Amino acid sequence: MSLNNEVNTMDDLQFRRSIYADPKTTDAEVLAAIEADPAKQKFSQELDALDEKILSALSIPVPENLSEKLILRQSLASHQQQKRRSRIRLAMAASVAFVMGATFTFLQFSSAYTNVGDYAIAHVNHEAKYFTNSSEANVTLASLNKKMASFNGSFSENFGELIMADFCRFDGMKSLHLVFRGDSSPVNIFIIPNSDHLEFNSSFKGDALKGSAKNFNKSHIIVVGDEAESLQQWQERIAKNVRWSA
Amino acid sequence: MIKKIFGNKNQQAQVSNNMATKQVRYEALVKALHGDLYRYAYWLCHEKQVAEDLVQETFLRAWRALDSLKDEKAAKSWLITILRRENARRFERKRFDMSEYEEATITDTRSTSTEQEIENHWLREKIAAMPEEYREPLTLQVLGGFSGEEIASMLSLNKNTVMTRLFRARNQLKEALDDEPKQRGQYNG
Repeated sequence: MSLNNEVNTMDDLQFRRSIYADPKTTDAEVLAAIEADPAKQKFSQELDALDEKILSALSIPVPENLSEKLILRQSLASHQQQKRRSRIRLAMAASVAFVMGATFTFLQFSSAYTNVGDYAIAHVNHEAKYFTNSSEANVTLASLNKKMASFNGSFSENFGELIMADFCRFDGMKSLHLVFRGDSSPVNIFIIPNSDHLEFNSSFKGDALKGSAKNFNKSHIIVVGDEAESLQQWQERIAKNVRWSA
Repeated sequence: MIKKIFGNKNQQAQVSNNMATKQVRYEALVKALHGDLYRYAYWLCHEKQVAEDLVQETFLRAWRALDSLKDEKAAKSWLITILRRENARRFERKRFDMSEYEEATITDTRSTSTEQEIENHWLREKIAAMPEEYREPLTLQVLGGFSGEEIASMLSLNKNTVMTRLFRARNQLKEALDDEPKQRGQYNG
């Protein structure tokens, strides 16, 4: 009890302010003041009654079916959202498929090289392991000319020892690939149709190989050989021998 | 490709599982708190229909953001925060001034009301006529059961301001109630 007297220094105004602000206060000082003073106790009870009235007044009736409405509205909204999402997913899958298809087509039919020189050297390097200068050279002029026919051309006589003659894809175009025995390493000759997407440069050079291209009629003839080879000579020999029928 | 389709199905199952959990949480939230929220909305806007719209909009937003609600205990204040924002948005849209409170918009009493209902109605008018800045903390404290600190953080005020407003709000109502018999006489007559 003596403790209460000590605590009970809270003045009336202060007490009223705190109990008005929060009648359910758990503040020790306020609770002690209520305990110590019957008038304050009565006042506190009055305020509790007031709060009950306020609560009752604030508690306006809630529409009966409000919670059902809320749940219904949400399920409709999320259903809509899901439908939209699956449509988006389908659209995304379609675009991915489209891009994959487009990329595939592009890679297959577009050239990674912009000029014949780069392509020819890459092609030769790629196949270098199949041919050596000592490979057997027994392709006849007749079988060469049979293949040349599809380019509307022919050779009048043999102008070198032919190791191999076959059709090749030259950067997506049908071409005739000839491999001759050279001075120190095989010489590769390509007969290719004129094309728009490759730039023809009359001479080009790689790391170990060099090449020259010459335009005939409707075709290009490209010669690729090593540094020691005289490409000029090869081109001259070709020019002398080749005949075009159309 | 097969794996992709397969994986997708698994994921879908998981998604619908999550959806089911979310649905349960949502429904529990609606059932537990829609009443308090509706009442709080009503005391913000004084119109039953608007209050209902506000609560609907609030719960829709709550559904979308439900994953961000980690602490179920904080659900009520979280919802009230959404509702207050929604109410503010309504003002931006319409710009009609709610401080011009009209008696017609307040809950009606029927002639067959009991004593308690008459008193409620009378007190409702007093509360509705009270400045918004007093009414809101009072609603949060009495209806929402929030502490002074919680109200302060919800309304972005400092705690002393909140306590002063609560004091004034109750003081006004207490004085009005002490004058009540006179007023009630008018009412009945």
